[in-house]
Amino acid sequence: MAENKLSWTELRRALATRAGVSEKEAYLFLNAFQSQLMEALKQDKQVKINGLGTFKLQAVAPRKSVNVSTGEQITIEGYNKIAFVPEAGVKELVEKPAAEGLQPAAAVDPIQKLGAQAEEIVDILGELGQSPDQKPEPVKEPEPEPEKAPEPEPEKAPEPEPAKTPEPVKAPTPEKPKKKYHFLRDTLICVVILLFLLLGGFFFLRHQLSSWINGLVNGTPEQTEVVAEPEEAPAQPSIDFDLKETIEDWYYSAKRWVLGYFEVSEAEVIELADEEDIIAAEVEIEEPEVIEEVAEEEEPVEETTSAPGQYNEWIATEQIAYGSRLAWIAKKHYGNKIYWPYLYDANRDRIVNPSQIPIGTLIRVPKLTPAQLDTTNAYFQQLREEAYSKTR
Amino acid sequence: MLTKDLISLIAKTSGQNKKNVEHLLSMTNAIIRENLMAGKAIQLQGLGTLEIKEKQERTIVHPRTGERTFVPRKNQLVFRPVANMKDELKKI
Repeated sequence: MAENKLSWTELRRALATRAGVSEKEAYLFLNAFQSQLMEALKQDKQVKINGLGTFKLQAVAPRKSVNVSTGEQITIEGYNKIAFVPEAGVKELVEKPAAEGLQPAAAVDPIQKLGAQAEEIVDILGELGQSPDQKPEPVKEPEPEPEKAPEPEPEKAPEPEPAKTPEPVKAPTPEKPKKKYHFLRDTLICVVILLFLLLGGFFFLRHQLSSWINGLVNGTPEQTEVVAEPEEAPAQPSIDFDLKETIEDWYYSAKRWVLGYFEVSEAEVIELADEEDIIAAEVEIEEPEVIEEVAEEEEPVEETTSAPGQYNEWIATEQIAYGSRLAWIAKKHYGNKIYWPYLYDANRDRIVNPSQIPIGTLIRVPKLTPAQLDTTNAYFQQLREEAYSKTR
Repeated sequence: MLTKDLISLIAKTSGQNKKNVEHLLSMTNAIIRENLMAGKAIQLQGLGTLEIKEKQERTIVHPRTGERTFVPRKNQLVFRPVANMKDELKKI
């Protein structure tokens, strides 16, 4: 046995020559390997070494047993043990020689032989009028055993194969090559492929997509008729208010993004913006508690509306609270969200981005003439375009 | 614990750099594999022995269906811990 074992020293020497290092280095390394492997095992219970296998520290739970001679119950104490699971490749390497070269009887396929034998036995048994089930259990020994089945035995005897089974023996469980899953790598590949597919589909279909989206958007306004609510609409339950707002926001930003992406002509954008507001107006949300009325009724100065950008009369002043928007204020005072750009216009000195107004900002609400409260108004459309551009 | 952790541990104790240790470890593994292939057992001092055991062919019977399956002979790589390992493991 001694020459059949690679000792620690031999390993060290082989390592020194193979790796091209001095024996001292190899010695240092192997010693460190030994001690650290042990330490790591104690620490982590498991050490994986690439190219070899995994060492595991396993705890065996205490169990109960019975003393065979006295019959009394005893407890077998639990203990720790070190198990080694070879890596798949190594396992294959080791198992291979046995499966192929080293096997002396490998020339004849043992399964075929067994199958043939089994058939033979069944035939013989059929002649004897016996059912195969009554056949005694198979024997491992190849020597004939006369007491089992007197007549057929002699014929069977010379066959070298040990297992004589009444039923045909199933094929040996095929050695399934264990698939190794590189989880990260596979996932990455999948993701990349998916991305490419998506991008390809996107570019391929983008014209159809854009026309489809436009069609969808243009198709909506019929069902979304604006119901101009009277001022001070009743407060809605705030739960679906939040939800609606959120969905609305998503819808807007998605649409804007899509429109920007497809580079729809500006005219279209304006047209679409119209619809946005109409749809928005349909969503009736009001939260009077949030919007705090601070001051009211400044004295009217002049009745006549002068240049479109100037507002002479103020209905109210609103303070922006958390969550309030120009659109709500517009709805509150003008009956329709769509007129919020006027608020922006009137408060240009305080508003930089209409969608992100600092909390606490005081917004003056100008009085609008019926001519101004008209979506077809040229100035209004221009204003709205500008206001939308500021939100980005 | 994975290989790279072990490598850094070994590098720390032996005072070599990681690249060196990695190289040495892979070399050790290669030597071990080759010797195992040649039918030799590998002695790992203080740990145990890696050796190949022959498993005889056998027929197994499925306890419920009574199905018989032939299991061909094969070699198995087993790890046999050193004798005093058991005592050492008791301490933890």
